[in-house]
Amino acid sequence: MKSLSNVAFSALQRTMLHTASFLVPATERPEWNSEWFAELWHVRSSYADIDETISFQGHCDIARFCCGAFADALCVRELATKSVVRRAHIHGSAAQTLLWLAIILLICLFITSFLPGMQAEREASRFQISPNALLIAESADNSTKPSIAAGLYLDWKTARQRFFLDLAFYHVTPESIQSGSSRVSWNVARSSTNLFALLGLPLLHATSDESGLPRVILSHDAWMRSFGGDPEVAGRVLRVGQINATIAGVAPSGSWRLPGSPDVWLLQPDTQIASDLSRKTLGYVVAQLSPRGQVAMQQSGSGISARNLEDLLIDLSATPLSAPVEGPWSLYEFALFLALVALPAVTSVSLGETHLTARRPSVRETLRRSFFLTGKLILIAGIGLFASCDIAYCITFSYSPAAECLQLVSCFAICLFGFRWALADQRHRCPVCLRRVTNPASVGLASRTFLGWNGTEMICMGGHTLLHVPALPTSWFSDQRWLYLDSSWQFLFADSGIY
Amino acid sequence: MAAEAKLSHTAAMILQAISAGYVYGFSIMEVTGLPSGTVYPAMRRLERDDLIRSQWERQSIADAEQRPPRKYYKLTAAGRTTLDASRKRYPLLERLMPTEEARSV
Repeated sequence: MKSLSNVAFSALQRTMLHTASFLVPATERPEWNSEWFAELWHVRSSYADIDETISFQGHCDIARFCCGAFADALCVRELATKSVVRRAHIHGSAAQTLLWLAIILLICLFITSFLPGMQAEREASRFQISPNALLIAESADNSTKPSIAAGLYLDWKTARQRFFLDLAFYHVTPESIQSGSSRVSWNVARSSTNLFALLGLPLLHATSDESGLPRVILSHDAWMRSFGGDPEVAGRVLRVGQINATIAGVAPSGSWRLPGSPDVWLLQPDTQIASDLSRKTLGYVVAQLSPRGQVAMQQSGSGISARNLEDLLIDLSATPLSAPVEGPWSLYEFALFLALVALPAVTSVSLGETHLTARRPSVRETLRRSFFLTGKLILIAGIGLFASCDIAYCITFSYSPAAECLQLVSCFAICLFGFRWALADQRHRCPVCLRRVTNPASVGLASRTFLGWNGTEMICMGGHTLLHVPALPTSWFSDQRWLYLDSSWQFLFADSGIY
Repeated sequence: MAAEAKLSHTAAMILQAISAGYVYGFSIMEVTGLPSGTVYPAMRRLERDDLIRSQWERQSIADAEQRPPRKYYKLTAAGRTTLDASRKRYPLLERLMPTEEARSV
């Protein structure tokens, strides 16, 4: 049976340890408690007699042991504080800055690789329209409007052509489309069956059809929008207007750049086109140049003379369909160039390398500084490319002029302000350790600018340099200046872990 | 090495005690005669400087002996090097305490 004094002393000793534990940082308290209470148990055991009683002297020794817990707790606290200070020194270092930029770049790259719009762009660059494919229109300036009558196309088709190997026609009208129970209104292009062969575009997810129904080809955008990019879409039956048709495949994403923005192409033989459409119905004609036509195009340009339905001579223009379209990379290059040109307008391109003392950075320090700045600029340029693509294509499934515009503007803004930040950041980096100078102190009075120095002073946490930044640039102090601290300062930064 | 030169006599004694087989706080206190307020903080600093390493005893061993598990300390390679240097600096260090094996005999 434990005596009352034993219980009271035990409670006192435990209370001492509990009290001391409050000095220990919360994160380390559980382990500290475990160690000290285990030690207390063993100390008490060593002082206990056979009948588990402890003498008064023993209790005093144990209490003295517990007093040591306060010193230990303070020590643990001090060590933890120093580790926080060390972490603060890591904060703002050159390596950390580059790491953060690299992480942002990788996140942007990761997002880009999964955006449907970017995947469509990559596909578009894989599937190019044949270079010999031309769009025939009445006017080169207005080639996006249908201008060739269906009757004229049929006449050309039956006539012997000198410059064209083949001709195709399509006419776009909004029609209702029913797939299963859903009904939508789409731009339906009634086109001749040879259109895609003439364009030189392969069909995605194509399948052979034995049903005898007319065949339709979905645009990439409609496929993504209405079928969620289902690769098993071919073979399904769509009701286009009043007729049923089988989906034969999906057009590659670049092909929608044909004028009229069709959502679906209903492939029909010329005889069907002749019976379904009136001869005056306007549409688009796509032609494939023969070798002789290519030579003629090179010699005499894109002008074509032909007779219209009234047998009058008309001038037509032929526009190559494979004309290069500005892809993300071309836009990026342009935006990057614009940002570099505009940079001097938003910030000083000076890196503030003026020094107050005779000491100059060594070649190694200068090279490190240059590599750091170059690394930052390259990473920001990379972020500009991928982040702008993410912004442009986060809501669109494929190429669109709006996405191009968005990419151009966002890339320009990211690169411009990113480069501006990189230069401003570089100006506040210690030339020795590349850590950001900190602890700004305002020195002097603005009203006494012409009598004494007025500005801000910042110090490198490694104790290498002091940066003087004038509040108001004057003829005798226009730019920031670095002051190298001598070795007498080093004792202040002895625990920084930088030396 | 700067750390070797700066090691105090107290820290050297604690390193010597751990090297001699006194591997937990209370036993080091007993063998060195130092108070707990000196021994435990010194061990924290030695551990911070990677001269010693702590390890918790397995719960199953402590349960079998019906006592709480203890935290044991042992020298690291750097600790052994530092102790060797300290023995040259404090020649009587080895004679201050018997080894754990010698004491048990």
